[in-house]
Amino acid sequence: MTRSPHRILASLGAISVFGFLTGCARDAVTPRGNTLVAAITSDPGHLNPAITTNGGVHTASDLLYDGLISLGDDLVPKPALAERWTVEDGGARYRFTLRRGVKWHDGQPFTSADVKFSFDSVLLRFHSRTRASLAPVLLRIEAPDDTTVVFQFKRPYAPLLAQLDVVEAPIIPRHLYAGTDPLKNPRNMTPVGTGPFRFGSYAHGTEIRYGRNASYFGTAPSLDGVVLRVIPDAGTQVAALEAGEVDWLFGVPGPDRVRLRTLANIRLHQSSVSPGGSNCVSTVGFNLDRPVFRDLRVRQAVAHALDRGQFVERVTFGEGRLADAPISSAIAFAHADHLAMPAFDTLRADSMLTAAGWHRSGATIREAVRVKGVKDGTPLVITFKVMTSMAPYGELLRAQLKRVGIDLTVVALEPVVFAQSVFTARDFDMSIAPYCQGSDPQIGVQRMYASSSIAPVPFSNMAGYRNATMDSLFDRAGSALDIEERRRVYRQIQELAVRDQPYVWLVETTNTRAYSTRCHGFGVAAHFAATASCTP
Amino acid sequence: MTHRYVIRRLLQVVPTVIGIVLVAFVLIHAAPGDPVLALAGEHGDAAYYDFMRHRFGLDQSLPRQMLTFLTRIVTGDFGFSYVQGRSTILVIAERIPATALLGATALVIALVVSVPLGAMAAKHPDSARDGVISSVALTLFSAPAFWLAQLAILCFALGLRLFPVQGMTTAGADRAGVAHAIDVARHLALPALALAAQEIAVLVRLIRSGLIDELARDHIRTARAKGVGELSVLVRHAFPRALVPALTVVGTRIGHLIAGAAVVEVVFGWPGMGRLLMTALQTRDTPVLLGLFIVVSSSVVVVNLISDLVHATIDPRVRVG
Repeated sequence: MTRSPHRILASLGAISVFGFLTGCARDAVTPRGNTLVAAITSDPGHLNPAITTNGGVHTASDLLYDGLISLGDDLVPKPALAERWTVEDGGARYRFTLRRGVKWHDGQPFTSADVKFSFDSVLLRFHSRTRASLAPVLLRIEAPDDTTVVFQFKRPYAPLLAQLDVVEAPIIPRHLYAGTDPLKNPRNMTPVGTGPFRFGSYAHGTEIRYGRNASYFGTAPSLDGVVLRVIPDAGTQVAALEAGEVDWLFGVPGPDRVRLRTLANIRLHQSSVSPGGSNCVSTVGFNLDRPVFRDLRVRQAVAHALDRGQFVERVTFGEGRLADAPISSAIAFAHADHLAMPAFDTLRADSMLTAAGWHRSGATIREAVRVKGVKDGTPLVITFKVMTSMAPYGELLRAQLKRVGIDLTVVALEPVVFAQSVFTARDFDMSIAPYCQGSDPQIGVQRMYASSSIAPVPFSNMAGYRNATMDSLFDRAGSALDIEERRRVYRQIQELAVRDQPYVWLVETTNTRAYSTRCHGFGVAAHFAATASCTP
Repeated sequence: MTHRYVIRRLLQVVPTVIGIVLVAFVLIHAAPGDPVLALAGEHGDAAYYDFMRHRFGLDQSLPRQMLTFLTRIVTGDFGFSYVQGRSTILVIAERIPATALLGATALVIALVVSVPLGAMAAKHPDSARDGVISSVALTLFSAPAFWLAQLAILCFALGLRLFPVQGMTTAGADRAGVAHAIDVARHLALPALALAAQEIAVLVRLIRSGLIDELARDHIRTARAKGVGELSVLVRHAFPRALVPALTVVGTRIGHLIAGAAVVEVVFGWPGMGRLLMTALQTRDTPVLLGLFIVVSSSVVVVNLISDLVHATIDPRVRVG
């Protein structure tokens, strides 16, 4: 009996030695041929992009699907499942003519019934962005024949074409989803689409495999296949790229970018487009319900106290650019040039704070003297809530605002708690959010300023800003079809936003894609691999 | 007697797990963070969030949600993952093998490494050798698992290129049989070592102190006086009793091991339960979280039972019943 433990230990030892001998055996990275291996940070859980706006799901599944149109980096609509379209009734009706001969990956024909079903039964119910933006203005969708789809709106609606790509409105097969619960349909795990790649296999937590769709209606992919590898840790992703285990990263941490730039076998590429959110601007918001921030002078003083260039240097490590207008420069038609943004000027910030009743009397931190709604002697201590991923912004803000006598208490929260605390409970003084403005200001910018967006909804009107002029300007911009007219209205919107200063716009962020030099020809986010190829 | 003991202990699992699940249910729901906000993300409207809350039954009162949950559990229905829309049992079950393999390998490594090191340290207490071994054990005990894991990647995967950086198998590879086993073993080595480090530290210290006590006892002196060889004294007479506390501790360490696995699995991209736990926490996927609590708490109780039985097998003085 007493010998048993020794036998057990001997067996365990043998197993371990085997493990390590096999482990230590040098093994060059397995040749992958013309297959691309890309790293993703999380297991998407399912592969149905029509029921969610989750960036992880879209990154993993957009390759399988198409929208009616596609958007490039320039945000110009191009034909996809819809071959052409006409805008009628002053912008209240859009008529799409679908491509003929398009087939689903299982061989069934794609028709207008699929489009109508996707919108009526799935997108307008479960895709939060499409539902929130289209449902209030859409009257009905008609499919008069197999190749025609008509969107009838209650009133002219300008931004529709920016909302019909695969990220905003992927079309899913009616013959596989009709009569089922779209959230629980088994096809969410074994999807059938029309996209450039077909579903191969899905090993949860490990990888998802795709094969090329040789009969794709567009240009058939060059790659034989794509493997999306789940690697949650950003540092490990970079190590895997360096070791040749993966070919493509969707993002690279700042400090690693500098090192990767020096490696001959790795290329870097900047993009402001991502399936999870495009054209994002890191934006500081003031809670206008708080007495301290009801005074415009205090908000302007904060804006003047910030050396915004330092955020690009020290927080994003040079990734992105200084925001020079409320609307991202990537939405070129709406971005206003040469706006009078608040300049970095601490002397001016000091005098504005003093004029607003926040005095420095020897103390480092200012105190209130006859400030409306604030007890005299109250120190200027501001609670700044931030998502953990954006905590470095908070630290730099704290350091910069201390110079003008504002004490910022930085509270870092995980995303779900942040959303609840800031947007639902409105329990904050100042905060920062990565507002992603998307392809049209009506989708991603209006929600920050419209009084109707003051709601317990994440990334809505954080400031609680109300201005009837602003509301009517957005209404005008949303119904104007003429691009010059929209450009003029958006300029007015941005001038008003800068004047009222409910926010401070810091950095237009971008993502750094990193890829092995054995691969090339990558496209924009959703179908990034459709035009790529890799040498064995 | 042993059978009855085992059945009785297994039945004790039920109230223990129910207690844990009830506490976990309350804690999860008391914690800030709305699952619907996590799931739906930005750009929704209030009507959409209400619609999703209703679908998941989150618009009901907490006692009613708890009652529904317990009623389902009794019938073996753990519900559907909010995020994946699949059966929670399926979502968890497919992650168990990876964590079991990682945890078991880490334990084996810990035992294989700590027993000889503990013995070497105990043989000459307070010697230079003992000092080195004890210092290394203390260092390993103090080092966080995520730091060791990243260090291991830098040194052995990127530096020496001895092991792969991440995953459980080579990306996109279709291997079977022995080739598959070797591929998994190569990927397993670093995460298992990183996870084993703290267990090694704990066990070395336990075995060292147990052996020092044991080697000072009368029966060891008697064995030596009778001319029994030093190796035999150590292996046959001292080890069986010195290993008993270590094995007991192994049973209690299973919870720590799973907690450590969560970190190690994230760093190495190992597709196990620990990583699922982290994801479920971030997305407030309550059905998956509760399912994981049930699996982990049951495992801890069962492993403790196994540890008691092994304890009794090694030490004839211990009788279960």
